[in-house]
Amino acid sequence: MKPEGINRRYVLRAALAAPVILGGPARAAGTIQMISHRYPALEHYAEVMRGAVPGVTVNTQLMPIDKAMELATIALSSKSDTPDIVYASDTTFQTFVRNGWFRPVDDLWAKYKDEFKLDDFPDSVLAPFRHDGQLYVMPHTLNTMMFFYRKDLFDQQGKAPPTTIAEYRDLAKSFNSPMRAGTISCLKPVDAATNEAHWYLNALGDGWFDNDWRPSFNTAKSVAAIEMLKEVTKYAQQGFTAAANDECTIALQQDTATMGLQWATRAKSMDDPNKSRILGKIDWVKPPQGHGRMGGDGYAISAFSKQDPDVLFRIIATSAGQKSLRDAASLMIPPRKSVLDDPDLVKANRFYPAALASYESGTRAPSLPEFNAIGEFVTRRILQGVTGEMTVKQAMDTAASETETFLKGHGYYK
Amino acid sequence: MLFPLGYALWLSLLNYDLGSGSQEFIGLGNYRELLNDARLWATLLRTVGIVLSAVGLEFCLGLLIAYGLYRLTFGVRALNLLLFLPNIVTPVVAALFLRWIFIGRWGLVSGLLIGWGIFPPDFLGDPAWARVTVVLADAWQFTPFMILVLYAGLNTVDQSQIEAAQIDGAGVWMLLFRIMLPAIRPLIVFVLAIRLMDAFRFFDTIYVLTGGGPGTATETITLYTYALAFRLLQVGKACALGVLTLLFVAVLVATMIRIVYRREKGAF
Repeated sequence: MKPEGINRRYVLRAALAAPVILGGPARAAGTIQMISHRYPALEHYAEVMRGAVPGVTVNTQLMPIDKAMELATIALSSKSDTPDIVYASDTTFQTFVRNGWFRPVDDLWAKYKDEFKLDDFPDSVLAPFRHDGQLYVMPHTLNTMMFFYRKDLFDQQGKAPPTTIAEYRDLAKSFNSPMRAGTISCLKPVDAATNEAHWYLNALGDGWFDNDWRPSFNTAKSVAAIEMLKEVTKYAQQGFTAAANDECTIALQQDTATMGLQWATRAKSMDDPNKSRILGKIDWVKPPQGHGRMGGDGYAISAFSKQDPDVLFRIIATSAGQKSLRDAASLMIPPRKSVLDDPDLVKANRFYPAALASYESGTRAPSLPEFNAIGEFVTRRILQGVTGEMTVKQAMDTAASETETFLKGHGYYK
Repeated sequence: MLFPLGYALWLSLLNYDLGSGSQEFIGLGNYRELLNDARLWATLLRTVGIVLSAVGLEFCLGLLIAYGLYRLTFGVRALNLLLFLPNIVTPVVAALFLRWIFIGRWGLVSGLLIGWGIFPPDFLGDPAWARVTVVLADAWQFTPFMILVLYAGLNTVDQSQIEAAQIDGAGVWMLLFRIMLPAIRPLIVFVLAIRLMDAFRFFDTIYVLTGGGPGTATETITLYTYALAFRLLQVGKACALGVLTLLFVAVLVATMIRIVYRREKGAF
């Protein structure tokens, strides 16, 4: 008998059977896809989103910020209809909005203003999420970098928290030992290194850019600021060049570092008995000389989503509702006035006074849609300066030249 | 296969920038810009260094272990299976646990060294050590492939040649270098070519271990391509770099094969 091979009839049968075997559309109807950065407060919001609208399944994917932004970029640049809800920070959302990847939410905001008490968000909190007058993001957290320090160790040695970066360097040196680093330093490109450089550049240098978006991070003052950063890293924990917020938080929690700059959203975890070995030993003050990075984040709706925008808005608004924010108040600085001003919450969260002081003395990242892209090469050059692969001056000049070329290609400096 | 390649070629001729939204045709502009880009040349040089170190180490180790297995009279199958395990682990998963082995302070290696009273170097944070670590990581994962292919090759060498050499008094090493290696030269070129092509695409392990850092210390050409596409959002330029990488690897492998082919007609 002739063995049966692959013939036209076989191929046709297989083609007809494929949709049945593969199960038709890839997405189950009603399943909403959400991509987000991950830290404790955002984990809480993801949980609220999953149960926000009865009968609607929300699939939440949480990951470190660089990965989340890359994934969202890949999906939205190809006009994919997933994800539906996307994490956005005050710096990342601008690129997305300019490319038309986010949907403005002003109409939905007006429609649901009373139901979700949206007047509770102060204008100053909404302003960073507007582009050309339109609102794109519902804020979920206000965040600021605070100075974390080991109060028990400082008290033992009769030392006070630093008020200048030079004092901070000297304290880091005095506390540094093989088993416990003098300070944390988080220089993993891009996000973490940008945050740390932001503090030095704004507190000691001339900041990132001048008024014409020309780099000012390579002026003499700014180079000296990065030299100071380099000096401080002599007393930093091992692996600081590859450390992001997670690694730095762990270094403090596991008693392998004494102090350093970290986000307010990480403060509560210092007192978490499941994660920390230093319960009650950390205290917080505003960053020496101020100018720690401040910002905020929230969630936006994809312009390509095929889901009902009302449902998506309800999910986002529920997770940023008064109850949800009150439940998460220990994990961040709440963006709603009613929650932020609640005296009970201020009393219950001992990091609040330092967080508010840090917020008041903080500096936002430049409102430049290209800021994150620029951060890619600037932070790598800073690291080359810090690790001695080139001098700091060479590193900052190279980064400035690359930045100018990049921005010129994007229509700046006409 | 031709469609993605053709599409990448087309994109490489555009100023396709997701950040600015532009998609204008600029001919060879991306290639010109890249060839004048100091970071590209530094990355290429670094990639060649990492690839040659990794493949060289894998070949030497692979050959030694394969020859050891060849001479072993028992347990070869079991050992072969065990040795091959690292090669079947997904690279990202392998890199993740290698990261926990090499990570500073609380990593396995650092922990052991501290336990013995030695303060360890910063394996992933120091530029020189980071390069060594990524080479070791690649060697750990791909030496088994070398072992498998070389061991199979050694077993194909004509037994009468080996016996004749032994009668003439050839020792263990002379047998390996004078009889067996020349006999499997085409296979060696094949396995080196495959590994070189593969190693030039070295991405996942470095991405997880060091992210190309510190600075650009372990940034290979594929990581730079990734940064161009997904961080700087310059898709056209990233495609141009992909095409340049393809050409570079093709020329490298073709040269290698040509040299051997000239010396020994019929190698391929």
